[in-house]
Amino acid sequence: MNTETVYPKVRAIVADVLVIDEDEVSLDSQLISDLGAESIDFLDLVFQLEKEFDIKIPRGQLEKNARGELAEDEFEKGGVLTDQGMIALKNYLSEVPAEHFKPNMKVNEIPTLFTVETFCKLIVAAANEKQSAESVA
Amino acid sequence: MRFLFVDRILELSPGRLIRGIKHVTQDDFYLTCGDDGRPNFIPSLIGETLGQLAAWNVMCTNDFTMRPVAGIVSSAHLLRPVHVGDTIQLESTIDSLDESSVRYHSSAYVGSDEVFRIDSALGPMLPMGDFIDNETIRHQFNEIYRPGEHTVEIGDGTMHADDENGFIYKTKMVFDKIIDCVPGQSMVAEKLVSRSAPYFPDHFPRKPVLPMTVLLECKINLAKAFINRSNLDVNFEKCEMHRIKMSDFVLPGDSLITHLQVKRHDDDGLVLNFRSELDGKRVCVLDVVLPNSRKNHD
Repeated sequence: MNTETVYPKVRAIVADVLVIDEDEVSLDSQLISDLGAESIDFLDLVFQLEKEFDIKIPRGQLEKNARGELAEDEFEKGGVLTDQGMIALKNYLSEVPAEHFKPNMKVNEIPTLFTVETFCKLIVAAANEKQSAESVA
Repeated sequence: MRFLFVDRILELSPGRLIRGIKHVTQDDFYLTCGDDGRPNFIPSLIGETLGQLAAWNVMCTNDFTMRPVAGIVSSAHLLRPVHVGDTIQLESTIDSLDESSVRYHSSAYVGSDEVFRIDSALGPMLPMGDFIDNETIRHQFNEIYRPGEHTVEIGDGTMHADDENGFIYKTKMVFDKIIDCVPGQSMVAEKLVSRSAPYFPDHFPRKPVLPMTVLLECKINLAKAFINRSNLDVNFEKCEMHRIKMSDFVLPGDSLITHLQVKRHDDDGLVLNFRSELDGKRVCVLDVVLPNSRKNHD
């Protein structure tokens, strides 16, 4: 499973969740600014993706993945990303163009960066994690 | 007028299950005249009652710090009307719960008849203080939390009143204006949201917002108007609502434009798609599925 193989299904689900035509969705579409997603749409999207791909995506998983090895207070201070946090976020969201990362970005602004590809990557990671957990068991 | 519908909580297992009852009586404000001419509890408000029941469980579980609000319902089934004199037995099961959202499913019964079912509802959690003060919400909960069993007497459902036909209905959930109608194809209607609507004091004291279920009932009534104008023969008693999603709050003073479109009409029945917008921005979408009358009677 990789981004390319999951994309067609993710694209269809994104279009369905946002009540738009599939033609309007591309891999690099930003969910909020390009496709008009609201916070409730993210809940809906995660739920639909979990159902379709038979995976579990814990709430806040994207932020957690972005933080990686960093402790919470190394990643953000008072709700604002630290310099280290910003580097970690840019590394994780490598599909997002550099100009979209604003200085002094707040943690609650991270979803504004998410693209369709971000969710494809999330699914691939969750599916791989599930597979390795199953093989360990 | 009170917009709190659970009369009594009979059983509560935090984060898992809740059971309760609602009596439908002549004292109820939210009654409507059913197709059989009898006073019924407004059908969408059975869904509201189930949502409120699940919310009591969630709020009790998190010690009344957060409350769920209407978000997404994968499908809701209105199976039969509930008459004055009926007691609705309610049950909600919490499927998942965390600090950001709750997912649950629910059923409502009168006797052994299932009258309403919610297959899967997903509600975002928001800070309680934005909506109601902590003391009031706890007081409301303590008032109805009386665990135990309730024995339901099954009667013939006849209203004990001198004259059912003379019953005076106090409220009507409809759109205020039909802007456009192409029979058999589409309709556009407007709802003006007035602060004087009777549900705002409870929904919610600190942040009055239009209940999603009130909007759903308005849409069902709009569907009836559209079907009358289109001369279609469908059965409203077994109405299903699919993929309901409320993406934003609708506030007093708002003017809500709703577009209805025929999505499909074939031997299986009629599917109507609804999209409500505030200033061009989507706030609520759903599909209403209605079986053909003829098919239902076969």
